[in-house]
Amino acid sequence: MRSLWQLIFRYHVFLVFLILQGLAISMLVRNNNFHHNAYISSSSRLTGYFYDKRSILAEYLRLQKVNEELARENALLRSEQPQAFLQLGDHIYLFEDTLYLRQYEFLPARVVNNSVNRVRNFITIDKGSRNGLSTGMGVACRGSVVGVVKDVSEHYATVMPLINNGFTISVKLARTQAFGRVEWDGKDPTLARVVEVPRYANPTKGDTLVTTGYSAYFPEGLMVGFVEDYRIPEGENFYEIDIRLSTQYYQLSYVEVIQNRLAEEQLELETLNTEADD
Amino acid sequence: MISLVGKNILRMAFFVLIQGMVLNRIDLWQGFILPFIYILGLLMLPLNTPRLLVLVAGFATGLAVDTFSSTAGLHTSACLVLAFFIPIVSKVLSPREGYEAGQRPTLHDLGWGWYLSYAGTLTLIHHFWLFFMEQFRLTPFFSTLAKVLLSGAVTLLLLIISQYLIHSSKDRRNA
Repeated sequence: MRSLWQLIFRYHVFLVFLILQGLAISMLVRNNNFHHNAYISSSSRLTGYFYDKRSILAEYLRLQKVNEELARENALLRSEQPQAFLQLGDHIYLFEDTLYLRQYEFLPARVVNNSVNRVRNFITIDKGSRNGLSTGMGVACRGSVVGVVKDVSEHYATVMPLINNGFTISVKLARTQAFGRVEWDGKDPTLARVVEVPRYANPTKGDTLVTTGYSAYFPEGLMVGFVEDYRIPEGENFYEIDIRLSTQYYQLSYVEVIQNRLAEEQLELETLNTEADD
Repeated sequence: MISLVGKNILRMAFFVLIQGMVLNRIDLWQGFILPFIYILGLLMLPLNTPRLLVLVAGFATGLAVDTFSSTAGLHTSACLVLAFFIPIVSKVLSPREGYEAGQRPTLHDLGWGWYLSYAGTLTLIHHFWLFFMEQFRLTPFFSTLAKVLLSGAVTLLLLIISQYLIHSSKDRRNA
Protein backbone atom coordinates (compact mmCIF):
# COMPACT_ATOMS: atom_id res chain seq x y z
CA MET A 1 0.00 0.00 0.00
CA ARG A 2 2.77 2.35 0.94
CA SER A 3 4.60 1.76 -2.26
CA LEU A 4 1.41 2.45 -4.18
CA TRP A 5 1.13 5.86 -2.52
CA GLN A 6 4.77 6.47 -3.26
CA LEU A 7 4.15 5.60 -6.88
CA ILE A 8 1.15 7.90 -7.07
CA PHE A 9 3.08 10.67 -5.41
CA ARG A 10 6.00 10.22 -7.73
CA TYR A 11 3.87 10.53 -10.84
CA HIS A 12 1.19 12.85 -9.46
CA VAL A 13 1.91 15.58 -12.03
CA PHE A 14 1.49 13.15 -14.88
CA LEU A 15 -1.69 11.70 -13.34
CA VAL A 16 -3.25 15.14 -12.97
CA PHE A 17 -2.20 15.86 -16.54
CA LEU A 18 -3.93 12.69 -17.73
CA ILE A 19 -7.12 13.43 -15.82
CA LEU A 20 -7.37 17.02 -17.10
CA GLN A 21 -6.47 15.90 -20.61
CA GLY A 22 -9.25 13.30 -20.46
CA LEU A 23 -11.66 16.04 -19.46
CA ALA A 24 -10.53 18.27 -22.32
CA ILE A 25 -10.79 15.52 -24.91
CA SER A 26 -14.24 14.46 -23.73
CA MET A 27 -15.34 18.10 -24.12
CA LEU A 28 -13.83 18.15 -27.57
CA VAL A 29 -15.59 14.97 -28.63
CA ARG A 30 -18.91 16.12 -27.25
CA ASN A 31 -18.54 19.46 -28.99
CA ASN A 32 -18.08 17.78 -32.35
CA ASN A 33 -21.70 16.78 -32.27
CA PHE A 34 -24.14 19.64 -32.41
CA HIS A 35 -26.98 17.72 -30.80
CA HIS A 36 -25.25 17.74 -27.48
CA ASN A 37 -24.97 20.95 -25.60
CA ALA A 38 -21.48 22.09 -25.02
CA TYR A 39 -21.40 24.42 -22.10
CA ILE A 40 -18.23 26.08 -23.19
CA SER A 41 -18.97 28.13 -26.23
CA SER A 42 -19.03 31.64 -27.45
CA SER A 43 -22.73 31.88 -26.73
CA SER A 44 -21.81 32.34 -23.10
CA ARG A 45 -22.65 35.68 -21.61
CA LEU A 46 -19.20 37.04 -20.99
CA THR A 47 -17.67 36.34 -24.38
CA GLY A 48 -20.93 37.31 -26.00
CA TYR A 49 -20.56 40.70 -24.40
CA PHE A 50 -17.04 41.19 -25.72
CA TYR A 51 -17.97 40.00 -29.17
CA ASP A 52 -20.91 42.36 -29.23
CA LYS A 53 -18.68 45.33 -28.50
CA ARG A 54 -16.20 44.34 -31.15
CA SER A 55 -18.82 43.67 -33.74
CA ILE A 56 -20.40 47.08 -33.14
CA LEU A 57 -17.07 48.66 -33.99
CA ALA A 58 -16.40 46.40 -36.94
CA GLU A 59 -19.90 46.97 -38.23
CA TYR A 60 -19.52 50.70 -38.07
CA LEU A 61 -16.48 50.43 -40.25
CA ARG A 62 -18.35 48.49 -42.89
CA LEU A 63 -21.73 50.20 -42.71
CA GLN A 64 -21.65 51.10 -46.34
CA LYS A 65 -21.24 47.53 -47.42
CA VAL A 66 -23.96 46.32 -45.07
CA ASN A 67 -26.26 49.02 -46.38
CA GLU A 68 -25.68 47.94 -49.92
CA GLU A 69 -26.30 44.36 -48.94
CA LEU A 70 -29.56 45.23 -47.20
CA ALA A 71 -30.70 47.42 -50.05
CA ARG A 72 -30.06 44.64 -52.51
CA GLU A 73 -31.96 42.23 -50.33
CA ASN A 74 -34.86 44.64 -49.97
CA ALA A 75 -35.05 44.99 -53.70
CA LEU A 76 -35.03 41.25 -54.09
CA LEU A 77 -37.80 40.72 -51.56
CA ARG A 78 -39.87 43.48 -53.04
CA SER A 79 -39.69 42.06 -56.51
CA GLU A 80 -40.39 38.54 -55.35
CA GLN A 81 -43.22 39.29 -52.99
CA PRO A 82 -45.10 42.34 -54.14
CA GLN A 83 -48.28 41.55 -52.24
CA ALA A 84 -48.14 42.26 -48.56
CA PHE A 85 -45.36 41.58 -46.21
CA LEU A 86 -43.32 44.71 -46.49
CA GLN A 87 -46.32 46.72 -45.32
CA LEU A 88 -46.54 44.90 -42.02
CA GLY A 89 -43.34 46.29 -40.66
CA ASP A 90 -42.73 42.93 -39.06
CA HIS A 91 -39.72 40.61 -39.14
CA ILE A 92 -41.77 37.53 -39.78
CA TYR A 93 -43.06 36.50 -43.14
CA LEU A 94 -44.65 33.36 -44.49
CA PHE A 95 -42.67 30.82 -46.40
CA GLU A 96 -45.08 28.10 -47.32
CA ASP A 97 -48.80 28.31 -46.82
CA THR A 98 -50.39 25.51 -48.79
CA LEU A 99 -51.98 23.98 -45.70
CA TYR A 100 -53.07 27.33 -44.33
CA LEU A 101 -50.67 26.64 -41.53
CA ARG A 102 -47.62 28.74 -41.02
CA GLN A 103 -44.81 26.22 -41.00
CA TYR A 104 -41.63 28.23 -41.31
CA GLU A 105 -40.83 31.53 -39.66
CA PHE A 106 -37.72 33.52 -40.46
CA LEU A 107 -36.10 35.58 -37.76
CA PRO A 108 -33.27 37.92 -38.74
CA ALA A 109 -30.13 37.85 -36.63
CA ARG A 110 -26.86 39.73 -36.71
CA VAL A 111 -23.59 37.82 -36.92
CA VAL A 112 -21.38 38.94 -34.04
CA ASN A 113 -18.57 36.46 -34.52
CA ASN A 114 -17.62 34.29 -37.44
CA SER A 115 -14.71 32.02 -38.21
CA VAL A 116 -13.92 30.60 -41.64
CA ASN A 117 -10.34 29.44 -41.34
CA ARG A 118 -10.72 26.55 -38.91
CA VAL A 119 -11.61 22.95 -39.52
CA ARG A 120 -14.53 23.33 -37.15
CA ASN A 121 -15.88 26.78 -37.76
CA PHE A 122 -18.59 28.44 -35.72
CA ILE A 123 -20.74 31.52 -36.02
CA THR A 124 -22.18 33.49 -33.10
CA ILE A 125 -25.42 35.42 -33.62
CA ASP A 126 -27.17 37.99 -31.45
CA LYS A 127 -30.44 36.14 -30.92
CA GLY A 128 -30.97 33.62 -28.14
CA SER A 129 -33.56 31.78 -26.11
CA ARG A 130 -35.31 35.12 -25.46
CA ASN A 131 -36.11 35.24 -29.15
CA GLY A 132 -37.36 31.69 -29.18
CA LEU A 133 -34.23 30.06 -30.58
CA SER A 134 -33.40 26.49 -29.68
CA THR A 135 -30.80 23.91 -30.65
CA GLY A 136 -31.29 22.39 -34.08
CA MET A 137 -32.97 25.28 -35.88
CA GLY A 138 -31.79 25.97 -39.41
CA VAL A 139 -29.95 29.16 -40.32
CA ALA A 140 -30.00 30.65 -43.80
CA CYS A 141 -28.80 33.75 -45.54
CA ARG A 142 -30.71 35.10 -48.52
CA GLY A 143 -32.26 31.78 -49.41
CA SER A 144 -29.08 29.83 -49.00
CA VAL A 145 -28.11 27.39 -46.25
CA VAL A 146 -25.73 28.64 -43.56
CA GLY A 147 -25.93 26.04 -40.78
CA VAL A 148 -27.75 24.80 -37.71
CA VAL A 149 -28.13 26.42 -34.28
CA LYS A 150 -25.92 24.58 -31.82
CA ASP A 151 -25.99 26.22 -28.40
CA VAL A 152 -28.32 28.88 -27.12
CA SER A 153 -27.92 31.30 -24.24
CA GLU A 154 -30.32 34.04 -23.26
CA HIS A 155 -29.15 36.59 -25.82
CA TYR A 156 -26.82 34.71 -28.12
CA ALA A 157 -26.59 31.50 -30.04
CA THR A 158 -23.80 29.64 -31.79
CA VAL A 159 -24.33 28.21 -35.23
CA MET A 160 -22.52 25.22 -36.66
CA PRO A 161 -22.12 26.20 -40.31
CA LEU A 162 -21.84 23.93 -43.30
CA ILE A 163 -18.12 24.70 -43.28
CA ASN A 164 -17.58 22.68 -40.13
CA ASN A 165 -16.43 19.16 -40.76
CA GLY A 166 -18.90 17.85 -38.17
CA PHE A 167 -21.82 19.06 -40.25
CA THR A 168 -23.69 17.21 -42.94
CA ILE A 169 -27.11 17.53 -44.58
CA SER A 170 -28.87 15.83 -47.40
CA VAL A 171 -29.27 17.76 -50.64
CA LYS A 172 -30.71 17.13 -54.06
CA LEU A 173 -30.00 18.28 -57.56
CA ALA A 174 -32.75 20.72 -58.41
CA ARG A 175 -32.96 19.47 -61.99
CA THR A 176 -32.96 15.68 -61.58
CA GLN A 177 -34.11 15.45 -57.94
CA ALA A 178 -31.33 12.97 -57.13
CA PHE A 179 -30.18 12.95 -53.54
CA GLY A 180 -26.77 13.16 -51.98
CA ARG A 181 -25.01 14.22 -48.85
CA VAL A 182 -22.85 17.35 -48.43
CA GLU A 183 -19.53 17.12 -46.64
CA TRP A 184 -16.91 19.74 -46.06
CA ASP A 185 -13.26 18.70 -45.94
CA GLY A 186 -11.96 21.53 -43.75
CA LYS A 187 -10.05 23.39 -46.42
CA ASP A 188 -11.67 26.00 -48.63
CA PRO A 189 -14.74 27.80 -47.18
CA THR A 190 -16.14 28.33 -50.67
CA LEU A 191 -16.11 24.67 -51.79
CA ALA A 192 -17.66 21.43 -50.55
CA ARG A 193 -18.30 17.93 -51.80
CA VAL A 194 -21.50 15.97 -52.32
CA VAL A 195 -21.18 12.21 -51.96
CA GLU A 196 -23.41 9.19 -52.39
CA VAL A 197 -25.17 10.63 -55.42
CA PRO A 198 -26.72 7.77 -57.44
CA ARG A 199 -25.81 7.18 -61.09
CA TYR A 200 -29.13 8.37 -62.41
CA ALA A 201 -28.39 11.84 -61.05
CA ASN A 202 -26.79 12.83 -64.33
CA PRO A 203 -25.23 16.09 -63.09
CA THR A 204 -23.92 18.82 -65.36
CA LYS A 205 -21.70 21.75 -64.58
CA GLY A 206 -23.59 24.64 -63.04
CA ASP A 207 -26.54 22.58 -61.76
CA THR A 208 -28.09 23.91 -58.58
CA LEU A 209 -28.16 21.89 -55.38
CA VAL A 210 -30.93 22.56 -52.89
CA THR A 211 -32.07 21.17 -49.53
CA THR A 212 -34.39 18.18 -49.55
CA GLY A 213 -36.71 19.31 -46.77
CA TYR A 214 -36.45 15.87 -45.20
CA SER A 215 -34.78 17.05 -42.05
CA ALA A 216 -36.72 19.17 -39.64
CA TYR A 217 -34.12 21.93 -39.88
CA PHE A 218 -34.57 23.34 -43.35
CA PRO A 219 -37.50 23.85 -45.69
CA GLU A 220 -37.23 22.26 -49.10
CA GLY A 221 -35.46 24.14 -51.85
CA LEU A 222 -32.99 26.30 -49.94
CA MET A 223 -29.92 26.84 -52.10
CA VAL A 224 -26.73 25.00 -51.12
CA GLY A 225 -24.40 25.39 -54.07
CA PHE A 226 -23.58 24.81 -57.72
CA VAL A 227 -21.90 21.87 -59.42
CA GLU A 228 -18.28 22.62 -60.29
CA ASP A 229 -17.02 19.19 -61.18
CA TYR A 230 -18.17 15.57 -60.88
CA ARG A 231 -16.80 12.09 -61.25
CA ILE A 232 -17.48 8.46 -60.43
CA PRO A 233 -14.48 7.13 -58.47
CA GLU A 234 -13.16 3.90 -59.85
CA GLY A 235 -14.95 0.82 -58.56
CA GLU A 236 -17.82 2.78 -57.07
CA ASN A 237 -21.42 3.23 -57.96
CA PHE A 238 -21.94 6.78 -56.81
CA TYR A 239 -21.02 10.20 -58.10
CA GLU A 240 -18.76 12.52 -56.19
CA ILE A 241 -19.64 16.12 -56.95
CA ASP A 242 -17.50 19.16 -56.13
CA ILE A 243 -19.69 22.14 -55.48
CA ARG A 244 -19.22 25.86 -55.01
CA LEU A 245 -21.18 26.94 -51.94
CA SER A 246 -23.80 29.62 -52.50
CA THR A 247 -23.30 31.14 -49.03
CA GLN A 248 -20.34 33.49 -48.80
CA TYR A 249 -19.04 32.81 -45.34
CA TYR A 250 -16.36 35.46 -45.60
CA GLN A 251 -18.94 38.21 -45.70
CA LEU A 252 -21.79 37.07 -43.46
CA SER A 253 -23.31 39.92 -41.53
CA TYR A 254 -27.01 39.17 -41.28
CA VAL A 255 -28.61 35.74 -41.32
CA GLU A 256 -32.11 34.35 -40.85
CA VAL A 257 -32.98 31.72 -38.30
CA ILE A 258 -35.63 29.32 -39.52
CA GLN A 259 -38.18 28.18 -37.01
CA ASN A 260 -40.06 25.14 -38.16
CA ARG A 261 -43.29 25.05 -36.21
CA LEU A 262 -43.82 21.42 -37.06
CA ALA A 263 -40.26 20.33 -36.22
CA GLU A 264 -41.15 18.96 -32.82
CA GLU A 265 -44.04 16.97 -34.20
CA GLN A 266 -41.87 15.50 -36.95
CA LEU A 267 -39.00 14.62 -34.64
CA GLU A 268 -41.33 13.06 -32.08
CA LEU A 269 -42.88 10.88 -34.72
CA GLU A 270 -39.50 9.90 -36.10
CA THR A 271 -38.11 8.90 -32.71
CA LEU A 272 -40.90 6.35 -32.50
CA ASN A 273 -39.26 4.62 -35.46
CA THR A 274 -35.81 4.52 -33.96
CA GLU A 275 -37.16 3.27 -30.68
CA ALA A 276 -38.97 0.47 -32.48
CA ASP A 277 -35.72 -0.46 -34.22
CA ASP A 278 -33.79 -0.78 -31.00
CA MET B 1 3.89 36.77 -3.38
CA ILE B 2 0.27 37.75 -3.91
CA SER B 3 1.33 40.40 -6.37
CA LEU B 4 3.40 37.84 -8.25
CA VAL B 5 0.42 35.49 -8.57
CA GLY B 6 -1.88 38.37 -9.48
CA LYS B 7 0.56 39.66 -12.05
CA ASN B 8 0.77 36.28 -13.75
CA ILE B 9 -3.00 35.83 -13.76
CA LEU B 10 -3.48 39.31 -15.21
CA ARG B 11 -0.87 38.62 -17.86
CA MET B 12 -2.59 35.39 -18.87
CA ALA B 13 -5.98 37.12 -19.01
CA PHE B 14 -4.50 39.92 -21.12
CA PHE B 15 -3.06 37.58 -23.71
CA VAL B 16 -6.26 35.52 -23.84
CA LEU B 17 -8.21 38.70 -24.57
CA ILE B 18 -5.75 39.77 -27.26
CA GLN B 19 -6.14 36.32 -28.79
CA GLY B 20 -9.93 36.30 -28.62
CA MET B 21 -10.55 39.84 -29.77
CA VAL B 22 -7.83 40.43 -32.33
CA LEU B 23 -5.72 37.47 -33.36
CA ASN B 24 -8.58 35.02 -33.87
CA ARG B 25 -9.71 37.30 -36.69
CA ILE B 26 -6.43 37.07 -38.51
CA ASP B 27 -6.60 34.84 -41.50
CA LEU B 28 -3.54 34.74 -43.71
CA TRP B 29 -3.05 32.41 -46.60
CA GLN B 30 -6.43 30.66 -46.44
CA GLY B 31 -6.12 29.65 -42.82
CA PHE B 32 -2.60 28.32 -43.06
CA ILE B 33 -1.30 30.99 -40.71
CA LEU B 34 -3.11 31.21 -37.39
CA PRO B 35 -0.91 32.72 -34.71
CA PHE B 36 -1.63 31.86 -31.08
CA ILE B 37 0.06 34.48 -28.96
CA TYR B 38 -1.91 33.55 -25.84
CA ILE B 39 0.65 30.88 -24.97
CA LEU B 40 2.96 33.71 -23.90
CA GLY B 41 0.95 34.00 -20.66
CA LEU B 42 2.03 30.45 -19.86
CA LEU B 43 5.56 30.74 -21.22
CA MET B 44 6.20 33.68 -18.89
CA LEU B 45 5.25 31.85 -15.70
CA PRO B 46 8.17 32.02 -13.24
CA LEU B 47 10.73 29.26 -13.74
CA ASN B 48 10.21 27.81 -10.28
CA THR B 49 6.40 27.53 -10.51
CA PRO B 50 5.25 24.14 -9.14
CA ARG B 51 4.40 21.77 -11.98
CA LEU B 52 0.85 21.23 -10.75
CA LEU B 53 0.25 24.96 -10.76
CA VAL B 54 1.51 25.20 -14.33
CA LEU B 55 -0.96 22.48 -15.32
CA VAL B 56 -3.84 24.30 -13.62
CA ALA B 57 -2.84 27.56 -15.30
CA GLY B 58 -2.70 25.79 -18.65
CA PHE B 59 -6.12 24.29 -18.11
CA ALA B 60 -7.64 27.66 -17.20
CA THR B 61 -6.01 29.46 -20.12
CA GLY B 62 -7.14 26.82 -22.59
CA LEU B 63 -10.67 26.90 -21.24
CA ALA B 64 -10.79 30.69 -21.59
CA VAL B 65 -9.54 30.61 -25.19
CA ASP B 66 -12.01 27.85 -26.01
CA THR B 67 -14.81 30.00 -24.68
CA PHE B 68 -13.85 32.66 -27.16
CA SER B 69 -13.60 30.45 -30.19
CA SER B 70 -16.39 27.92 -29.42
CA THR B 71 -13.92 25.09 -29.61
CA ALA B 72 -14.66 23.38 -26.30
CA GLY B 73 -11.71 21.27 -25.25
CA LEU B 74 -9.43 21.96 -28.21
CA HIS B 75 -7.23 24.69 -26.74
CA THR B 76 -7.64 23.20 -23.27
CA SER B 77 -6.10 20.00 -24.52
CA ALA B 78 -3.26 21.77 -26.34
CA CYS B 79 -2.55 24.05 -23.39
CA LEU B 80 -2.35 21.07 -21.04
CA VAL B 81 0.24 19.44 -23.25
CA LEU B 82 2.11 22.74 -23.35
CA ALA B 83 1.86 23.15 -19.58
CA PHE B 84 3.12 19.62 -19.09
CA PHE B 85 6.21 20.33 -21.19
CA ILE B 86 7.06 23.83 -19.95
CA PRO B 87 8.89 22.64 -16.78
CA ILE B 88 10.54 19.80 -18.70
CA VAL B 89 11.88 22.07 -21.43
CA SER B 90 13.04 24.72 -18.99
CA LYS B 91 14.83 22.03 -16.97
CA VAL B 92 16.56 20.58 -20.04
CA LEU B 93 17.70 24.03 -21.07
CA SER B 94 18.86 25.10 -17.62
CA PRO B 95 22.49 26.19 -17.30
CA ARG B 96 24.80 23.81 -15.45
CA GLU B 97 24.65 25.75 -12.22
CA GLY B 98 20.87 26.24 -12.48
CA TYR B 99 18.92 29.43 -12.97
CA GLU B 100 19.85 32.45 -10.92
CA ALA B 101 17.30 33.66 -8.42
CA GLY B 102 14.97 36.21 -9.96
CA GLN B 103 15.70 35.17 -13.53
CA ARG B 104 12.56 35.19 -15.64
CA PRO B 105 11.99 33.11 -18.78
CA THR B 106 12.37 36.08 -21.10
CA LEU B 107 14.60 37.04 -23.98
CA HIS B 108 15.99 39.86 -21.89
CA ASP B 109 17.01 37.75 -18.91
CA LEU B 110 18.28 34.61 -20.62
CA GLY B 111 19.33 35.63 -24.10
CA TRP B 112 18.62 34.68 -27.69
CA GLY B 113 19.89 31.12 -27.75
CA TRP B 114 18.00 30.10 -24.66
CA TYR B 115 14.82 31.91 -25.60
CA LEU B 116 14.65 30.65 -29.17
CA SER B 117 15.05 27.05 -28.08
CA TYR B 118 12.61 27.47 -25.17
CA ALA B 119 9.84 29.30 -27.03
CA GLY B 120 10.50 27.50 -30.32
CA THR B 121 10.23 24.00 -28.88
CA LEU B 122 7.15 24.78 -26.83
CA THR B 123 5.39 26.65 -29.64
CA LEU B 124 5.99 23.70 -31.91
CA ILE B 125 4.64 21.22 -29.33
CA HIS B 126 1.55 23.33 -28.71
CA HIS B 127 0.76 24.00 -32.37
CA PHE B 128 1.39 20.43 -33.38
CA TRP B 129 -1.04 19.10 -30.82
CA LEU B 130 -3.57 21.83 -31.54
CA PHE B 131 -3.79 21.46 -35.30
CA PHE B 132 -3.83 17.68 -35.27
CA MET B 133 -6.47 17.59 -32.54
CA GLU B 134 -8.52 20.05 -34.56
CA GLN B 135 -8.35 17.75 -37.54
CA PHE B 136 -8.96 14.80 -35.20
CA ARG B 137 -7.26 12.48 -37.65
CA LEU B 138 -3.94 12.22 -39.41
CA THR B 139 -5.17 12.17 -42.99
CA PRO B 140 -4.23 15.46 -44.63
CA PHE B 141 -0.91 15.05 -42.89
CA PHE B 142 1.26 17.42 -44.89
CA SER B 143 -1.18 20.29 -45.14
CA THR B 144 -1.76 20.08 -41.38
CA LEU B 145 1.99 19.94 -40.83
CA ALA B 146 2.38 23.00 -43.03
CA LYS B 147 -0.17 24.78 -40.85
CA VAL B 148 1.79 23.81 -37.75
CA LEU B 149 5.09 25.09 -39.12
CA LEU B 150 3.82 28.29 -40.72
CA SER B 151 1.61 29.28 -37.80
CA GLY B 152 4.34 28.29 -35.37
CA ALA B 153 6.85 30.54 -37.13
CA VAL B 154 4.47 33.50 -37.00
CA THR B 155 3.63 32.85 -33.35
CA LEU B 156 7.34 32.71 -32.53
CA LEU B 157 7.90 35.99 -34.35
CA LEU B 158 5.06 37.60 -32.37
CA LEU B 159 6.48 36.18 -29.14
CA ILE B 160 9.85 37.75 -29.83
CA ILE B 161 8.32 41.10 -30.77
CA SER B 162 6.24 41.12 -27.59
CA GLN B 163 9.37 40.39 -25.57
CA TYR B 164 10.72 43.72 -26.76
CA LEU B 165 7.43 45.50 -26.08
CA ILE B 166 7.25 44.15 -22.54
CA HIS B 167 10.81 45.14 -21.79
CA SER B 168 10.84 48.55 -23.30
CA SER B 169 7.83 49.46 -21.17
CA LYS B 170 9.48 48.00 -18.09
CA ASP B 171 12.73 49.88 -18.63
CA ARG B 172 10.87 53.10 -18.97
CA ARG B 173 9.14 52.51 -15.66
CA ASN B 174 12.41 51.78 -13.93
CA ALA B 175 14.17 54.81 -15.32
